[in-house]
Amino acid sequence: MSQNELLALLPLILVVGLAMAVVIIDIVLPDRDDLISAIASGGLIVTLIVIAVCGPLPGGVGLLPREGVQLFVDSSGSGVIVRDQLTAFLDLTFVVIALLSLLFAVDYLKPRGLPMAEFTATLLFAISGAMVLGSGRDLLILFLGLELLVLPGYMLAGYAKRDGLSTEGAIKYFLLGSFSSAIFLFGLALVLGFTGSTRVAAIADVLAGVAAGNAPLSLGLAMGLALLTTGVAFKIAAVPFHYWTPDAYQGSPTPVTGYLSVGPKIAAFALILRLFVDALAPLKADWLPFVIVLAATTMTLGNLVAVTQDNIKRMLAYSSIAHTGYMLVGLAAYAGAAAGSPAEAQGLEALLFYGAIYSFMNLGAFACVAALQRRPGVTSQIASFAGLGRRAPLLGVAMTLFMLSLTGIPPTAGFFAKALVIIAAVNTGGWVAFLAVLMMLNAAAAAFYYLRVVVYMYMREAPDGARPVSIGNFTRAGLIVSAALTVVIGVVPPVTTAVIDMAREAARALL
Amino acid sequence: MALPQTIPLLGWSWDDLIFVVLAGVMLGGALMVVIGRNIIRSGLYMILSFAALAGFYVLLGAPIVAAAQVLIYIGAISVLILFAIMLTQSKAGPSNLVFHHQAWAAGVAAVGLAVLLLIVILFTDWPAEVADGVAAGTAAIARLLFSDYVLAFEIVSVLLLAAVIGGVFLAKREEALDPGERQVDEPTLARQPPPDRPRGVAASEGP
Repeated sequence: MSQNELLALLPLILVVGLAMAVVIIDIVLPDRDDLISAIASGGLIVTLIVIAVCGPLPGGVGLLPREGVQLFVDSSGSGVIVRDQLTAFLDLTFVVIALLSLLFAVDYLKPRGLPMAEFTATLLFAISGAMVLGSGRDLLILFLGLELLVLPGYMLAGYAKRDGLSTEGAIKYFLLGSFSSAIFLFGLALVLGFTGSTRVAAIADVLAGVAAGNAPLSLGLAMGLALLTTGVAFKIAAVPFHYWTPDAYQGSPTPVTGYLSVGPKIAAFALILRLFVDALAPLKADWLPFVIVLAATTMTLGNLVAVTQDNIKRMLAYSSIAHTGYMLVGLAAYAGAAAGSPAEAQGLEALLFYGAIYSFMNLGAFACVAALQRRPGVTSQIASFAGLGRRAPLLGVAMTLFMLSLTGIPPTAGFFAKALVIIAAVNTGGWVAFLAVLMMLNAAAAAFYYLRVVVYMYMREAPDGARPVSIGNFTRAGLIVSAALTVVIGVVPPVTTAVIDMAREAARALL
Repeated sequence: MALPQTIPLLGWSWDDLIFVVLAGVMLGGALMVVIGRNIIRSGLYMILSFAALAGFYVLLGAPIVAAAQVLIYIGAISVLILFAIMLTQSKAGPSNLVFHHQAWAAGVAAVGLAVLLLIVILFTDWPAEVADGVAAGTAAIARLLFSDYVLAFEIVSVLLLAAVIGGVFLAKREEALDPGERQVDEPTLARQPPPDRPRGVAASEGP
């Protein structure tokens, strides 16, 4: 194994090793929650540095070559796993998600008597699955990565095992999740049966021949495509495959909900990039109509239902469905553009940038809910936020910031994310431009329920006898990081362009 | 005495006959799993169905997959399920599950999907040649597993470790202080049941 190949695997090995180290430390020194949190967050920061050192990142940053490194390359020129700019971009996003989820969980789990070590290890295993998805170029690796991502997620959803709601949400998530994995696997089997290879590049070659022949899609391939679409639509919670989302999100412990709303979603989009954009790109004219319909229904229904919610976790669950729709608009902008045109890369760039920004701001919003719920017994009803602006100024300001960013109001990072997606969709034109219009209408409607939280915080009186809110140190650090990312990416132009550059180069790696 | 090349009267090859018998056993077993009311009997029929499936793999020339099917599905999974049923079965279980009301809808969906898949399989021009990656022999599979797919092999082991840790945590008995998402104090903020929540486990529980 050459040095480059080892460097390509190093971030993944680090995260898995960290998870195992946490388990071993917990056996040797039981019930040392603070030690576990410190080691895990330190380890994740080291992993971030290692990813930056390994690269490849824009501007020649990183030891690995710009075009990336593939492992176990076969005669078709496709490796089993690849580390290119897309992998590096996704890895950075995933590790930041893990780090923030961990910081927000410490102060929430402890007062409830829930152990930190199992949470940390499981979270790290899930993130290693996400990293596998971001780098897989073989159907077998992609499926295993998907399972490694979602299986720990089911367990995290049921982490508060004495709580009926948590268990109920976990079981619904588990049943529908495993069902969708089976559907996805069936789709993979049909594609494998038709193309005769599990390698992404070999599949793309065979399908390019199919697409060039201008023959209608054969039934077997069409069925495979339909099953694959259904499978990933479940994972990203696109309407009409979203039924598990509200219950799983509401029942899970709040930091877990925060993780579930971003980690598995961005990882499933990584799967879409590796599978639909890398392998199934020759058939994109065939799957474009379904993406357009999915995007339109997902953002509209997610927003309409979110308006009616009084529980903030449920509201954020439906709003996360709406954000899935916005990201699908980026995918549609890619699929609708002519092959090789600049609009094609622009769509993917917008999708990646949106995914990264959405992770920070949505995790931050859930962290505010978790901070408020630090004292056991505080519910996630929106009324809990009444008068929070005066009771806990830092929390109020942070929550306002995340709500504004989720709405997409300048100068927050959320504005640039929405702007990029809309510009990409308009540039592609056709039906995708209609999606851009629908997205703007939806963003306006979403302002209603996001700003409602702000109204509760600053214009309603706190109920009599409301106790003061104390924020733990880990949560405070995490809140500052996610708020800083949201503001700095929005306000400081060099940072904005740097992140957009990373997303652009990551998108180019696929085309 | 040598057997004739084809079966007398029917004109089938012996492979076809074995296929038809195995298919009948597998489908019959699967049907009995679903329609039976005795859950232990369902488990036993499931083993029968799995065994017939192992027969298919032998028929297709994949002995190692067949052996894995017998070892893992019959030897490990089914027996584990039977043990789990026997250890956890409660006589006071609900006699009228929600699934029983949905039998018609489920039947329509299942038949529809079966017809769709049948059409897909019959009317697709499947490539006839065997793909490169297909390895049936033990040596070939072993070589692939420790060269190209060594990473997949390692990912599976990480997956199993994650599953074991998760399983142990969920099964561990302990007293937790967590009131979960339930209201404990601040009575002015009474918990309202969300409007679109389906009736589930928690809907029947009090605050």
